[in-house]
Amino acid sequence: MRHFLVMTAFAAMAAVVFGTVAKDTTRDRLTYGLKVFAEFMAIGLILGWILYFLPF
Amino acid sequence: MSRAEVERLGHDSAPPRAWLMGLAAWLVPGLGHLLQGRWVRAVLLGGAVWICFLSGLAMGGHLFIMGGNEQGLSALLQLPPMIANLGSGVPYIISWFFGVGFADDPAHAALATFEYGNTFLLVAGLLNYLAMLDAFDIAAGRKA
Repeated sequence: MRHFLVMTAFAAMAAVVFGTVAKDTTRDRLTYGLKVFAEFMAIGLILGWILYFLPF
Repeated sequence: MSRAEVERLGHDSAPPRAWLMGLAAWLVPGLGHLLQGRWVRAVLLGGAVWICFLSGLAMGGHLFIMGGNEQGLSALLQLPPMIANLGSGVPYIISWFFGVGFADDPAHAALATFEYGNTFLLVAGLLNYLAMLDAFDIAAGRKA
């Protein structure tokens, strides 16, 4: 559980910065930030499952 | 590149104020935007970097530095993470001054959150480089 929380915190902070420095309108920035957050989370979970099946 | 080419490409040399804002943004995360009256950006960017850095230290992360006593390639391997850590600005300098986060002993590395802490500290610096470029661009009039 702790791993998941740390990953969520990491994704949230990175998404806030990426979304804030993006160009375009506030709505676009918000959408981009949410998209970055979702991508970080999804990729983290996918990689976690792939690594789970590796024997080393 | 001639003046006409510069104007055609829409680039121009940045005013000294932009460099100052970039420097302020690097030194104290959030300050570059704060000085330009961008409160929301300052809170979001500065807050994210500060939280990331302090969380990294709290998790027992390691800050990198080239101490001069590394041998061979070891010295070069310290350089990229040190550049990333250095992006945090004053928090890194204060930590260096007080010797916080620079411990390099096995007991420290055995902490369950050691690698998380390392990553948070590295990313705090890298995110602050992005914030610094944003503050620079705003001061130079390249960004609204």
